[in-house]
Amino acid sequence: MGNSLVYAAVNTKIRAMEGDFLTAADYKNMLQKHSVPELARYLKDNTHYAEFLKDVDVEKISRRELEEIFRRRIISDLDRLIYYFKRGYKDFVRSLYLKYEIADIKHLARLIFNGSKPQDFSQSLTFIGKYSRLQPEKLFAAASIRDLITSMEGSEFYPFVKPLLDGRRENLFRFEMVLDMGYFSMINQMREKVSGTDYKILQFWEGTVADLYNIQWIYRGKKFYRLLPEELLNYTLEFGEELSFTKRKALCYAANLEEFYELVQSTGYQFLFKKNQTQDIYMERRINRYIYHLLKALNRKYPMTIIQTICYVWFLEYEIKDIFAICESIRYRITPEEARRFLVRAF
Amino acid sequence: MAVETMKMMGFIGKNELMNKILRQLVLDGSLHAVNALVRINSSDFKILPTEKNIEALEELPFLKSYSAHRDFSEDEKIITGLMQLFGIEPQVKLEHLLQDYDYDKFIKEILNIDEEIRHTTEEIQERERTIEEKREYISNLSYLKEHQFDMGRLAGMKYLTFRLFKITKENFEKLKKNYENIPAVVMKVGDEGKDVVVAIMTPGTLEETVNKILDSLNYTPLALPDGYGGLAFEVIQELEQKIQEDERSVEELKASLSHYKEKYASSVEMAFSRLQLEKQVEDLKSDAALGKHWFFLFGFVPENRVGELKAQLESSFGDDLIILVDDIAKSGRGITPPTQLRNVKLFKPFELLVKMYGTPAYDEKDPTVFFAITYMLLFGAMFGDVGQGLVMLVAGLILEKVMSDGNFGGILARLGFSSTIFGFLYGSVFGSEDLIPALVIRPMANINTMLVAAVLLGVLLLVASTIWSILNACIQGNIEEGFFGRNGWAGLGFYLVLIYSVIKAALGGNSVSPVSIALMLGFIALMVLKQPLAHKIEGMERLYDESAGSYFMEEGFGVVETLLSTLSNTISFIRVGAFALNHVGLYIAFETVGKMMGSQVGNIAMLILGNVIIIGLEGLVVFIQALRLEYYELFSKFYKGDGIEYRPVKLKGLAHAHRNPFIIIAH
Repeated sequence: MGNSLVYAAVNTKIRAMEGDFLTAADYKNMLQKHSVPELARYLKDNTHYAEFLKDVDVEKISRRELEEIFRRRIISDLDRLIYYFKRGYKDFVRSLYLKYEIADIKHLARLIFNGSKPQDFSQSLTFIGKYSRLQPEKLFAAASIRDLITSMEGSEFYPFVKPLLDGRRENLFRFEMVLDMGYFSMINQMREKVSGTDYKILQFWEGTVADLYNIQWIYRGKKFYRLLPEELLNYTLEFGEELSFTKRKALCYAANLEEFYELVQSTGYQFLFKKNQTQDIYMERRINRYIYHLLKALNRKYPMTIIQTICYVWFLEYEIKDIFAICESIRYRITPEEARRFLVRAF
Repeated sequence: MAVETMKMMGFIGKNELMNKILRQLVLDGSLHAVNALVRINSSDFKILPTEKNIEALEELPFLKSYSAHRDFSEDEKIITGLMQLFGIEPQVKLEHLLQDYDYDKFIKEILNIDEEIRHTTEEIQERERTIEEKREYISNLSYLKEHQFDMGRLAGMKYLTFRLFKITKENFEKLKKNYENIPAVVMKVGDEGKDVVVAIMTPGTLEETVNKILDSLNYTPLALPDGYGGLAFEVIQELEQKIQEDERSVEELKASLSHYKEKYASSVEMAFSRLQLEKQVEDLKSDAALGKHWFFLFGFVPENRVGELKAQLESSFGDDLIILVDDIAKSGRGITPPTQLRNVKLFKPFELLVKMYGTPAYDEKDPTVFFAITYMLLFGAMFGDVGQGLVMLVAGLILEKVMSDGNFGGILARLGFSSTIFGFLYGSVFGSEDLIPALVIRPMANINTMLVAAVLLGVLLLVASTIWSILNACIQGNIEEGFFGRNGWAGLGFYLVLIYSVIKAALGGNSVSPVSIALMLGFIALMVLKQPLAHKIEGMERLYDESAGSYFMEEGFGVVETLLSTLSNTISFIRVGAFALNHVGLYIAFETVGKMMGSQVGNIAMLILGNVIIIGLEGLVVFIQALRLEYYELFSKFYKGDGIEYRPVKLKGLAHAHRNPFIIIAH
């Protein structure tokens, strides 16, 4: 009863906002463009992105600026949705920012590591401080990873990064890993803020995503980075829908890739491994497409739940991802036919 | 009861004297600074082209705002460091600020002191650091206290390494579930809420692997001391002894500084005062404008301070400083002056509640006195009780003494006093109506009279506030609102006729006379046509500020609102009577419960509890209700409160110059 009251309003809003998504025709047209400005002009003249591009000279736009503009759309849309929620749910919906915020912090860490100056990037890392209590100016002033960690004091992330500082073990890899682990630990707690059906859906949905990420992580760790099985296991996410700890452990301790494939066959995720040349190139896209269709199915199956909001945010992210995939393929002169195989959305 | 009259003062001085002049202004503490460039560009700014002023005049077109904001954090660090070392309390003393001094030269001396004793202070810091380190070792070792480990042997192992670290419980679970694959002996030695302390022993050859695994668990290593033998608790004892030794040597080092303290303590104390002053001066500079040779600074000063300040500065700086004193421009022009309220002691605390609604504008009448009288009246009428009133009076007087900001206590005491007076009128002591006779009325016995009287009081207050609004409009020369507005003459006329008709109808039962109806309609027509009428009288060409259509649309709704709010505003005052009744009613409830207790003790206890609740709870409710009547019913009629509060630059924690006339010797 309470749910339908809340979701009646927010879902109507989402329906309306979904009307602004790009259509299949838009995708087809965009693939035909020959330059980034041309693409930007198309978006400006024909789509909802007009609102964000209105003060922009599309002839001079760079890919980075474009990216920045589109990220602003995520913020503006999510802010509109947060408005509909109360108390714990508000916190939960706000935590959807967390993913982007952490991506921005990691990006910043990489920039600092490479010795970039704050004025080069402070414009583009808009998500920092959007969810957490981080103060962006402080972070931008950091000159090293160590500074960066100190400047995060007082925020939700600090307990996770502090041990690096105390043990003087800070480096880029560990910093990123620790943040990622922190992210999933926070997400895990956020789930406690919703109730009833929503909780069950989230458990299933987040569990499935965790499974996919865990498999990808173990696979890559084994194939490319040759990490210790213990390390692999310790870095896996502590929750999952199908992959229990025992199953994860077995995957981590698989003696070689063959044995690993064998084990994956018995799970529902065997589609990730086609064992051909393009397996690694398309793995990311396969995961995204799987998530995309899973979300669509959940969306239909459970109307009037939290999944509609999640769906909206993820679809928006995928749309933006696809626009950039198109951007890249234009720049590398990939034919439209080939380019569409890299997109999350099939049409 | 008034708003303090302000003058606009300008200070134009030689740049090299800027610091000294500004210092004196800060010490004087009566200048409310405004941005100099804004002032110079305002339409009423003038400066006479006399010979004295000519140089300054030439600079006018080339002025820049002061941008080089100086950073005192380094000075501050050194001075606070020295103060800690010498054990000096931070205190600003006027005696250190009166001399003529150059801050930079002075601070250099302080830096020299710091330099001189740096060697010793650094050693103290080093000792303190090692003490800290040893304390950490002790807290780490305490996890191993119960185990029979020889620390010396653990540290000296050739093929094995021993380490202590902390990880979260979550991560410890991961480690535990995978024990069989970890090439190390793992032992949990401590539990600290979210974290677990673990000791681990590994073959040296596998250390790298173990490190990687620990890394993936995000561990925090806990350091153990080198070069100590024996069991953990023995090492701890040894470390504690060493800490004591270190502490002793720190004391000795500090003692060795004592002759420096004798020599320099007063300078350091002086430095603190001067630093605080300099920081204020620097803040004040951000409002100044700089030319090549002259600086410009402007601000508002209360009229009664102008003479003294001017004389003082002139005697100190003579021809090197030009002082301008201007009257405040008529409303609407120039910079908005700040408001400083001045009220007699009886009403002063109520300024707090008035400011909570808004500070009066400079050209607005200060409503504090009106507020204070009506507020006390309303509160007393709702909460009239001799005993409870006296309790509040005493509590208020105590609070006024105890709290640093006595305003709240002051308000409480005055309300208590008013409550006591009304207590006599109602004949009520601690709720009981049997002890003294009522001088005027017993509320519970005359319910209707109470309610009608409350509404009549409301009518009086509303009329008073409308008249106030008319006065304000007169001061501002606002014909539209003053004559024809809802809170102007037209509104007042309408209200009076309406009330008259209502009373007549209520008493005689007659229908309303046609004359009254005609009058009311006439007043309404005036209110609707207020803007065109006013513009006509003022001889303006345009009759409406906006389009006539939208004007009448707005005013049409305005009339409906006037009709509704006039009645509801008046009826609203019925709560004054209602709460007076409520006050008695609440007591009767407790009295009844008290009688039901059966015993004398229970009865008295219940009456005391009842009185406490009545003072605490009902007192608060009445306080809020009276405030609501003031803000919503009365203030909304006549009071805008969009002024700026008078905030002079001054040095915190210093008695102010008005009371300490002094002379600064100029250069």
